[in-house]
Order: sequence, then structure tokens, then C-alpha cells
Amino acid sequence: MNPMPGVGTMKFAMWLFLASEALFFAALISAYVLLRLTSPSWPDVSELLNVPLVALNTSLLLISSVTMVYGFASIEDGKQSRLRLYLIATAVIGTVFVSIQAVEWAQLIGEGVTASNSVFGSTFYVLTGFHGLHVLIGILFLVLTIFRSYRGRYSQAEHGGVELMGLYWHFVDIVWIFLFTIIYLI
Amino acid sequence: MTETAELSFVRRYVFSTDHKVIGKQFLFTAMGFFTIGGLLAILMRTQLAWPWQEIPIIGPLLYGEASGNILPPESYPALVTMHGTIMIFFFIIPILSGALGNFLIPLMTGARDMAFPRLNLASYWLMVPAFLLVLSSFLVTTGPASAGWTSYAPLSILQDAAPGSAMGQTLWVLSLMLVGTSSLVGAINYITTIVMLRAPGLDMFRLPMTIWALFITAILVTFATPVLTGALILMFFDRSLGTLFFAAGEGQVILWQHLFWFYSHPAVYIMILPAMGVASDVISTFSRKPLFGYKPMVYSIWAIAGLGFIVWGHHMFVSGMNPLLGITFMTSTMLIAIPSAVKTFNWLGTLWRGNLQMQAPMLNALAFVSTFVIGGLSGIFSAATPVDIFLHDTYWIVGHIHYVLFGGSLFGVFAGVQYWFPKMFGRMMSNTAGIYHFVITFVTFNMIFLPMFYLGAFGMPRRIADPYQYEMFSGLQGTNQFMTYALFVLAAAQLIFAFNFFYSLFRGKVAGKNPWKANTLEWTTDSPPPLENFEEIPTVYRGPYEYSSPLVAADYLPQDQYVDGTESPRGMPAPAVSPAAGD
Amino acid sequence: MSEHSATENHRPNYLLIFGALFVLTLIEIGIALTGIAASAQVVILLALAFTKALLVALYYMHLKFEGPIIRIIAAVPVLLVLIVILIPIFDVWIFG
Repeated sequence: MNPMPGVGTMKFAMWLFLASEALFFAALISAYVLLRLTSPSWPDVSELLNVPLVALNTSLLLISSVTMVYGFASIEDGKQSRLRLYLIATAVIGTVFVSIQAVEWAQLIGEGVTASNSVFGSTFYVLTGFHGLHVLIGILFLVLTIFRSYRGRYSQAEHGGVELMGLYWHFVDIVWIFLFTIIYLI
Repeated sequence: MTETAELSFVRRYVFSTDHKVIGKQFLFTAMGFFTIGGLLAILMRTQLAWPWQEIPIIGPLLYGEASGNILPPESYPALVTMHGTIMIFFFIIPILSGALGNFLIPLMTGARDMAFPRLNLASYWLMVPAFLLVLSSFLVTTGPASAGWTSYAPLSILQDAAPGSAMGQTLWVLSLMLVGTSSLVGAINYITTIVMLRAPGLDMFRLPMTIWALFITAILVTFATPVLTGALILMFFDRSLGTLFFAAGEGQVILWQHLFWFYSHPAVYIMILPAMGVASDVISTFSRKPLFGYKPMVYSIWAIAGLGFIVWGHHMFVSGMNPLLGITFMTSTMLIAIPSAVKTFNWLGTLWRGNLQMQAPMLNALAFVSTFVIGGLSGIFSAATPVDIFLHDTYWIVGHIHYVLFGGSLFGVFAGVQYWFPKMFGRMMSNTAGIYHFVITFVTFNMIFLPMFYLGAFGMPRRIADPYQYEMFSGLQGTNQFMTYALFVLAAAQLIFAFNFFYSLFRGKVAGKNPWKANTLEWTTDSPPPLENFEEIPTVYRGPYEYSSPLVAADYLPQDQYVDGTESPRGMPAPAVSPAAGD
Repeated sequence: MSEHSATENHRPNYLLIFGALFVLTLIEIGIALTGIAASAQVVILLALAFTKALLVALYYMHLKFEGPIIRIIAAVPVLLVLIVILIPIFDVWIFG
């Protein structure tokens, strides 16, 4: 007997999974915070990193959350092609996000900051890298979701998969909200 | 329901999505690793009894003539490391959560399988590469990891500190990442199943304690394991990419300890809670009495789990951690004794004036309670920071952990396996053999581990291959020899269990549905259960502990048995016809 | 483009929420650029970040409309995340 009518096992499990992922990122963030607080010299991030570019990137990711949730709203209304449109938009924006991140990494490496020659580098690359990895995995699942949509998998009555996709994507956005703040702003 | 098309042998027994098969897969592999972990302990204790002496048979086999058939000094830390690692991650957690959890959860909740059967398949098969990695670490030239199962930085970061710091340590890290993933995936499955797939009428407060314990354990796994995974990834990067997370000097060595113990303290509750659940069910069944204080028992497990997240620093009292923080950890650690005590008294309350059936499962459950109490009491000493400063890294701690892990968890496993063997395999284990196994195990267990409190209070350090090189400990060798002899007998006694287990698989007395006359749902179906668990999903009318109920003549009253004139579950009419199949 | 008001059928105004998120982000950047005391910056910026996260969780992840069980699953990790980050900080960083 399901104590939560309206909530399927998949949605329940997705929330549990996201909860565990929050703890995973917490370990990495804990490392970052501890190392930064105890470091004798931490680089001035506003000079080393391109904060305006990353601010733009952050906004892009926020926009991708909007497109994602509009996609979900579309299939709630039974609008298939709208769903696909928004899913594709989300995937495209996600790809742009990762690309800009890659450019940022390249710039930073060019400035001589690697993962092994500074504590800043170690924490920066690992933290943004795992976030980027989660975005990439999200894009892969978005593509899968788009394919399934073309195969008529989702309808107004049954679109749980789109909801799951949305939950994951918004979670990845939330992680970035914190990473952006603690790495680039603070 | 599913079509009755026959599955191939491989789909039915190897790559199975059937929780009962997966549970058995975990069971057998865990038993194998228990053997390996035990052999490592025997080697360790041989060294402690007769340091640097030729070891018969094993000496020439493993270490060769060139080194004089003795244990090489650098191998002792590896023995210690792998004994702990294997016993924790490849024996006790898989056998409690993986084997009993998988087998019992759908059956005790009246479900046909787990919420996600294919995910369940993944959770076992993720362990297989983990097994291969950890076993292969014994075969690499430089030997297995030797930084302790706690793998503290910076030793564990350096590739060339000791032989075991090379490939062995890398294999250790990779293996544990896989174990963590397997656990996490399994935990999500268990939580979903218990919350969402319960049979009609099975409210949460009608669940047996075994299920409550497995449920809360799965929650611990979900929230604690990712932190270890994160820490292992950082360690892997430090070792392979040269990152500086835990590096001495530039990184923060203590960061490893915080992240490691944030997981590993809840891990010890992951290792004990299922055994506590089993003990509650076995004691109630074999006392023919309701469990004393069911709701406090449940709340106590919640309290242990919740507090378990904020005590990890008690492993770090001597690490150089902020002493103010030490005070908070000391306080929270002492608080955890309270729910544990509640549970202990409730077990005693269950036994009090019960109609005690002293069969093998019950004897082992009683051993669980008594040795867990000793282990827990010794923990209170260690909880006090000033005392722990002396006791840390001595044999006191080794005694403490083995009283709770062997005395606690392992006797719980012996109880649980013998209790549910008939359901799993359709045959009874020999009770006589079970009693012999129990008596010898219990006596020799105490002979080995009780002296450790004395040794530890004396100051004998752990993880040292030859403590007698220090003159103050030279008088302790006799005690250590006594303990080692006891271990030989203990090890031999396990052969009784093994023989009993495997013989009974084929020649045990055929078991009916409910040989123990117990109340919970798994006993309402065949032994072993059919593929879909139940012909019809049972309807539950009451809690699991209605033993010696005045409502019926029998001294047990199954959860799914309707008694005329008693109230039906909320909103459900009394059954005029059998409950509908399916969920 | 279908926009619904928040009163219709439990569907929030997603664009409005995005507007709030964007504005909060701008405020964050503004705060970071000003020269106010570092400790105040940290507190304010984290509070802003939490607010943004909460908006995404409540409205985009529809947590506002979910039952207590899902909300607990979402809330408990927040507490544990704080513990695992703050306790080690307290270990190494003596305040004041």
C-alpha cells in the first residue's frame, strides 16, 4: 500500500538519490572550505577567474532550469512538441554551460594553475569538475528523454520520466548556486 | 502477474532479479569472506603469540624459506588492515544488509519483490568487481593495503611509504568505492520498498523490528556512504593526480579523518542495528511473549541513528582536534548509551517470565545481548575524552569493537541465519550442532576478547607486530598466547557451523511453512517461498508480537490471521473472501 | 508559451520565480563587489544562495506541493550537509 498516493516509487527513489548526492557534494565542499580557511595564501578569485563570464554561465544554468520546468508543464498539458522544444533547449543550454566551463578551465591551466600545484587548484578542479560531470550526465539523460518523447513515451497521463529528469536537473542547478557563491563570490 | 515462462539457469540463479536469490548470493559470498578475514586474524594472533617464529605450513607457503618462514615485519600492518577491511565491508555489512535485508524485506512486508528488482541485481553485481579488486590486492607483488582499515593520511597518500602503500592501497580505494555504490543503491531500494510496498494493513508500527532496523540502517547508508565515497575520490586523486587534499604540509591531513569518520561512525551502527532487529524478533519468538516496549524500541533505533551522525569525533580525541569540539563529541557519545540501554532493558523485559525456548537461534540472541552490553559499557569508558587519551590505540579499543561487532553483530548473524535458514532453504539446521557451536564459540570468544580490556588498560598498543620489544609489555606474551590458543578452538568451532549449514542444505529435516510458530509474514508462505513470494498478498490485522495472546488458544497469532470480533485494519472490511492478489 | 498564474492548478509562475532568481544573483554579485566586511559578505551571500536554492526546490522541484515524507527526505540532508561542513570548520578555525 502506497502511503503517498500520487507519488510513485521512482519519484520517491529519485529524491532519496538526490539526498545522497547532496551529501557527496557536501564532502567535496567541506574539503574546499577547510582547505581554504587553513590556507596561508588563497588566490584572489576576482583576478584569477573570469567572474563576469561565470556569472553569465550561472544565469544560463538558471535559464535552463526554467526551460526544463516549462518542458514539464508542457507535457502536463499534453503538449508533446512543446515538451521536446524545451528539453532540447535545456540540453543545448547545458552544453553551452559545460563548454564555457571548459574554456574557463583552459584559461586557468594557461595561467599555470593545475590540480597538483596548488590547493586552490585541487579544490577548484575537483569541485567544478564533479559538478560539470553531473551536468554532462544530465545532458545525456536529457537526450534519452528527448528520444523517448519522439517515441511517444510520454503523455498527459503518464510523464513521470520527465518529472524525474526535472528533479535531477534542478538539483544540479542548486549545487551550482552554492558552488558559484562559495568559489567565485566569497 | 509475471508470465510463467521458464528463465534460463543464468537468469534464474546468476543474474537474478529475485531478491531471495540475491540475498543468498550475498550470504554465500559473505561467508567466504568471513573465512578469509578469520584466517587473517589467525595469522595476526599467531604473530602476537610467537613473534618472529616459524609458522608451520603457512610460513613456507606464503613467506618462503628466504625470509625464514616467518611473517615479514611489513606484512603485519597489511594483515591488520585487510582483516578489518574484509570483516567490515565484505562480511558483516553484506551479510546483514545484503543477505538478510534482501531476503527478508519483501517477505516480511508482504511484497512480491523489492521496488526495483533490476537495481537489486546491480547492487550485488557491483560487489563482484569489488571482490576481485580486494582479493587481487593479495596477489600483487607489493602486497595488500597496510595503512589500517582507517587508512589515515598522509601515510595512505604516499605511494612509497610501505609496500602496501603502492598498488595495494589503490586497489583498496577502488574496491571500497564500488562497495559504497552497491550499498547506496541497495539502501534506496530497501527504503522505497519498506515505505511503499507494504501489504494492506501493515502500518509502519506493525512492522517487525528486523524491518525497522533494516529500514533505519538503509537511511544511515543513504546519508553516510556518499561522504566516504567523496573522501575516497579525493584520496584517489591525491595518489594518482597529485592533488593536495590530504597531503602533509600543504593539504589538511585531519580532513581525511573528519570525512572518513563521518561515514565510519554511522557505519558501526549500520553493522549493529540489523542485528538488534534480529535479536528483538528472535527473543520475542523464542520467549513466546510480545516484545517489551515496541514503540520505545523503534524510537531508540531512531535515536541511535540520529545521534550516530554527531559522534564521529570520538575517534579523533588524540588527533589534535580542537578540544572544545572534543567536549561536544564526548557528550553526544555518552548520550547514545541511553537508547542502547533502553533496548537492552526491553530485551530483558521480553525475556522476563517468558516461556523460553532455548534453541540455537535463541542462545545466540542471548549471547548478543550479553556481549553487546559488555561492549557498550567499555565504550562508555572510551567516550570520556581524558580516559580515551590513554585507551586510544590500545587493546581496550580492540576489545570494545570485538565485543560489539563479534559479540553483537556476529552472534546476531548466527541467530538470524539459523532462524531463517528453514525459510531460505526449506530445511532445518541441526539444533544440536547449533548448540555445540554456540557453547564453544561463546566461551572461546570471551577467552580471546575479555583479556583485551586488561591488556589495553595496561597500555598494550594495537597494530604492533611485536609489542614485547618494549620491556613494559614483555610480561603480556603469556596472556596473548592464551588468547591465540582460544582462537584456534574458536576457529575450529566455526567448522561445526559450516558443516551444519552445508549438510543441512541437502540433508536437513524438511521444514514446513512455520517451524518456529512465529507471527511475521514470511512464515505464512512456503519454505522456500515461491518465485512470487505469496500466492496471495496477505492482509495484516495486527502487530508482529502477539505471542501468548488471550484471543486465541495457540501461543502465537500470525499477523495475517483474522480473528472474528476483533477490529479490522483501518478502512478495511473484515474478509468475507480472500484478499485480492497483487498490490 | 503557456504561462499560468500561481492560483491555477498548483502551477507556480515559473517566469516570476526566474525573475527572482536572476535579481538575487545580481544582488549577490553586487554584494561581492562592494567593500563590506568579509564576515558580513559571507553571511549575506550564503543567505542569498540559500534563498535561491529554496526557490528552485520549492517551485521548480515542486517541493511546496509535496507531502511530508518527501519534504523530510529533502530537509534531512540539509542538516547533515551543514554538520559535515561546519564541524571541521569549527575544528580548525578558532573564532575571534
